[in-house]
Amino acid sequence: MFNFFEKKDLKVKLIPSLQKVQLKTGDNLLASALAQGIKWPHKCRVGSCGTCRCKLVEGKISPEIDFENVLNPEQLKEGYILACKSSVKTDLLIHVNLHKEKKDNTT
Amino acid sequence: MKTLFVNTRYLIVPVMSIITILGLISGGINVWAGVALFGISAIVDTATKNIHLRADFDEEGNSYGIKIFQYAVMYLMLIVFVALQLALVWRIYQYVNGSPFDLYSFYGLTIQTGITTTNLIGAIISAGLWAGIGIIYGHELSHNKKEGFFISRLIMSLSGASHFTYAHVYQHHLHLGHENDPATAPRGRNVYMHTWLSHAGQCKFSYDLETSRLKKKGKSFLSLDNRWILGYLYSLPSIVLFVWAGGFVGVAALLSLWVIANFELEALNFMGHYGLIREKNKPVEHKHSWDNDSVFTDWFFIAIGRQADHHVRGETYFWELDDVKGPNYGIGYFSLFLITLVPPLFRSYMKKHLDNWDQKYANEKEREIASQYGY
Repeated sequence: MFNFFEKKDLKVKLIPSLQKVQLKTGDNLLASALAQGIKWPHKCRVGSCGTCRCKLVEGKISPEIDFENVLNPEQLKEGYILACKSSVKTDLLIHVNLHKEKKDNTT
Repeated sequence: MKTLFVNTRYLIVPVMSIITILGLISGGINVWAGVALFGISAIVDTATKNIHLRADFDEEGNSYGIKIFQYAVMYLMLIVFVALQLALVWRIYQYVNGSPFDLYSFYGLTIQTGITTTNLIGAIISAGLWAGIGIIYGHELSHNKKEGFFISRLIMSLSGASHFTYAHVYQHHLHLGHENDPATAPRGRNVYMHTWLSHAGQCKFSYDLETSRLKKKGKSFLSLDNRWILGYLYSLPSIVLFVWAGGFVGVAALLSLWVIANFELEALNFMGHYGLIREKNKPVEHKHSWDNDSVFTDWFFIAIGRQADHHVRGETYFWELDDVKGPNYGIGYFSLFLITLVPPLFRSYMKKHLDNWDQKYANEKEREIASQYGY
């Protein structure tokens, strides 16, 4: 009766690392990945620094904030998103370099 | 039962705001209801300062918070804050036009028309105090939903502070603890000075952010797409209403309301990070925020006092924020707010907390920077 409110199990596949993130509809992409031990570069977790940016190759997310202030028009056109402010709607294929800008998160 | 309790305990402000509005409508001495409720809150907060609770999760680690309910409340608060201003405008109109004193009954609510100068002052302070509390919704809504961001801007614009939403997310969260974050108060500054400096600094940042965004899009600054200008235009209905209702009295009332509301906003920023230091390019850690999470503060301010967790897990909803054993004042916001109003008392109170922070939390470099400041 309440299936409408039930959250679906979803999968996010990361390339090129081929790691996977299990989550549910509406879950936050970065928070879910970090909770599952994936070392995703990040810093502010509010969508202001751009460290967690990645490319959405397949699937749908719902942006929780306007990405325009951090990503430039070319990046937006290419499908870049901010993982920390992405609510997952469907299974996803994401291109993210988990070793990029490591210093953003560690220095 | 637990779900009901967890979700309704954050309704203190909605209930008190509505009582304040009813007080303004009722008239007479009831217009002071907002001031009285603020005072009662300060007493309750101080009396319960030693009770600290953790966030509530079930055995599987799921929060009891119902997102759709909490967001519905926050969105509805926009209407409540609009009603608060309308009630005040109505009283200003009566004052300026010398409405006769009379008593009416409306669905059981006794309404006294006409208002004295003393009671008008009470009405303005009441409305200002509760308009300022709008920051707790403006803050939460700035973080987790695109439409919420817009509602946040509207709520903040009622206090003439629409710049806050952008400055908070894109400046404060990125730079807190640095001297380039106007919302972080350095050691030695008092709350009165901080209010003006932080307000001006955040306005300037929002202007720069929008100028840069429009430039990247190849658009002129004088554009209908200019969010910095739009933010201030959202305040225009308030200005028009107050001017229409009361002329100079209306302008004075609106300015007073905005000053009170912005003072509360900046006092929260002041208390959240006073004197804390972060090295440039180092990550934000729990130690870079002061927690205020005594029980009444936590429920009244919808957990905005769990600053340490919020600044590290910025995507987390307020009802999921927890005690992360960061620096903690050990008292609530109301108690601390009263202390900040007396700068020498505040400096003296903070000495032990800052000494403790320097010894227990700060690293070598942070201690070195701290040594450049006095108390």
